[in-house]
Amino acid sequence: MNRKLIGAAVVMSGVLLLSACAGGGTTSSETGEGVDEVAAGPRTLLLYVDPVREPAALAYKASVEGEIDVTVEVLGQEEILAKVALANQTGQGWPDVTFNPSNNVGVFQDPLNGYALNLDEYVDSAIIEGYNGSGDWCLIDGSYYCLKNDLAQTVLWYDTVIFDELGLTVPTTMEEFAATAMKLKGTGYVAGAIGDQGYYAGYLWPSGCPISQVLDQETVRINPDAVECTRVIELVQPLVDAGVLDSRGSFDAGFLEDVARQQKVAMNIGPSWWGQFVIRPEDSWAIPAGRIAAAEMPLWSGETTNWSGEWGGGVWVGNSHAPNPQDVADAIVFLATDPDMRADKVTFPGYKPAFEAWSATIATDPYYVGDVTAAMVAQVPKIRQDERPARFDSRGQLGVLSTEIQGSGDIDAATRKFMEGLAELAAGAGYTVVK
Amino acid sequence: MLRHRSKLMGQINGMLMFLPYLVVLVMFAIVPIVMAFRVSLGPSRLYPEGGFGNYLFVFEDFRFLSAVGNVSLFLLIYLPAMLIVVAVLSLLLDTVQMKYTLPLRLAYLVPAGISGSVAILVWYFMLEPTYSPFAGIFAEIGLTEGVQIFNTTNLVYIFAIMAFFTGAGNWIVIQYGSLQSIPQDILEAARMDGANVFQQAFLIKLPLIRKYLVYMLILVFASGLQIFVEPYLISSSVYPGLAKDWSLNQLSYTLAFTGSNLGAAMALSMVMLLVSVIVALVIIYRTDFFDEARGKMKEKTIG
Repeated sequence: MNRKLIGAAVVMSGVLLLSACAGGGTTSSETGEGVDEVAAGPRTLLLYVDPVREPAALAYKASVEGEIDVTVEVLGQEEILAKVALANQTGQGWPDVTFNPSNNVGVFQDPLNGYALNLDEYVDSAIIEGYNGSGDWCLIDGSYYCLKNDLAQTVLWYDTVIFDELGLTVPTTMEEFAATAMKLKGTGYVAGAIGDQGYYAGYLWPSGCPISQVLDQETVRINPDAVECTRVIELVQPLVDAGVLDSRGSFDAGFLEDVARQQKVAMNIGPSWWGQFVIRPEDSWAIPAGRIAAAEMPLWSGETTNWSGEWGGGVWVGNSHAPNPQDVADAIVFLATDPDMRADKVTFPGYKPAFEAWSATIATDPYYVGDVTAAMVAQVPKIRQDERPARFDSRGQLGVLSTEIQGSGDIDAATRKFMEGLAELAAGAGYTVVK
Repeated sequence: MLRHRSKLMGQINGMLMFLPYLVVLVMFAIVPIVMAFRVSLGPSRLYPEGGFGNYLFVFEDFRFLSAVGNVSLFLLIYLPAMLIVVAVLSLLLDTVQMKYTLPLRLAYLVPAGISGSVAILVWYFMLEPTYSPFAGIFAEIGLTEGVQIFNTTNLVYIFAIMAFFTGAGNWIVIQYGSLQSIPQDILEAARMDGANVFQQAFLIKLPLIRKYLVYMLILVFASGLQIFVEPYLISSSVYPGLAKDWSLNQLSYTLAFTGSNLGAAMALSMVMLLVSVIVALVIIYRTDFFDEARGKMKEKTIG
């Protein structure tokens, strides 16, 4: 018996070790970097960026060469929350500047997290004014906690060759959009794919569906029964049923192969970066030059403004624990707004001088038919502002939404499941959820 | 007196040999577990006073029950598959003794080389109709779209397949090793008594390696319960959100790193640990896991 007990203890310890290893394997410690700065020593900054932002980060590093010792680490956007949580736990090793999916600022501003640096003292008000309100996503409790890297305002992208072939006109209302999409039935063309973030950013958000409307630090409005949500479902479902809105995602391997790369997308609601990043590249949709144009967002009936939503529109957040917050803020300003640096990047900058420089390049690009930036610029002040950053990971639930759409094609069920999940998360994060 | 001293020396030597492992055990298992337990009782947003509120938070979480269901179903598929296939294949490997048995053993290790993130990619390409080398076969049975295969209903089978292929090869080689430890005289006696190959395999060899299989079951259960990499990677890269918070370990990760609730994450980890320990104890005490193998064998030979 005694032997049995000892034996049991040995096996148990094996199980324990396995548990510990399995747990440990999922997290890699990021301690010690960027915090050992001493006042007299060289200034250091640690930047965490996703692969798309790496060139910008390297440009910043070059711009302060000899002054500040900059380390750039490239990692996935979804990893940032975890890395910061880890640093919060160990009390050291915070990255000084991070590129984030837009909602992260809500999590980081939460006093329980405390990572986000309040930029009010360190960023010139002229920079904030240069955003013309389009950077107000970062405005929480009267202070700016981030700078928008880019605006991801949705516009209506369309293929002029297909429109000419079918004799279509560019829709200006959502009813016209639906009618135009229905005309594609049986032609093999589609009005885009909807099994991804596009449904949220291009349909639910512009319509004003209360998905994550943070009213104040205690209250969030989430209500799938609001007319702003039901009208979206009623408009979209028949289009999915008719096969003119593809229920797969825009990056789905099958959709790319059968539809997008066959030049079968007649039009689709997509963000400002869609042209340079999705439609054009050879390894993406690979649509040839001379076909693609962009128009302003169609208007939902009952609205007076043709609102945009945002698909992406990342933000730069600084480290409140950094020994030299001014360096942090200066880096953020450069990364978000420097006109020369931003001119050739794929995304549309929010800061006016930067987007003017960016637009100058794109507007005259012979790849596009006409000036696609006109629609983007027109939509800048029309990014609907009732969706707000929340301190729960609302972005994480977007995958649930697209999975449901792809799986069942049932838009109503998918929307409800998505929003019920958000309501649970909101309650778990201490919000009172109102309808 | 002399005898007493030698017994004491034996105990000291035994302790000394156990010591290196004890150090590792304390540093990387006991200490983290104690830390996790303390954090699990710490304050969180909804339970600022700490205590067992975090456990309640986990049990009430809207993702908890579905994760329990997913992992249970996964274990129901994965454990028997591992046990049966590993036992049968290692017996086959042991039975068919030929010139190439030794190099053949290496072949069993090859799939284990494709593990973790690489396995996810390999299986994605195998199962995605657009890229798969088996696209023709898929098309024959009407599977032409990725979502027909990668959907929430099929996930559990996909993960079971991934986990099985990355783990089975290793265990086959290990169990083959345990079969090698069976004394030849027992097998010789069985042959002389007229036992055929199947009788030898299932009536002699299998009972003799049962303990190794039980040991495997305990470890495979513990690792299966903690399935993480497969659903996490599918969900964060290939099909965003497809298997979000699918498993208990994923939920724990989400709570810790995107939910700002380390206490609840640790509470969930402690629950999983408890389940692993209980299951292991049950298996150990319900089998003759720690009885002396030799004594048992003697009984059998005499009997």
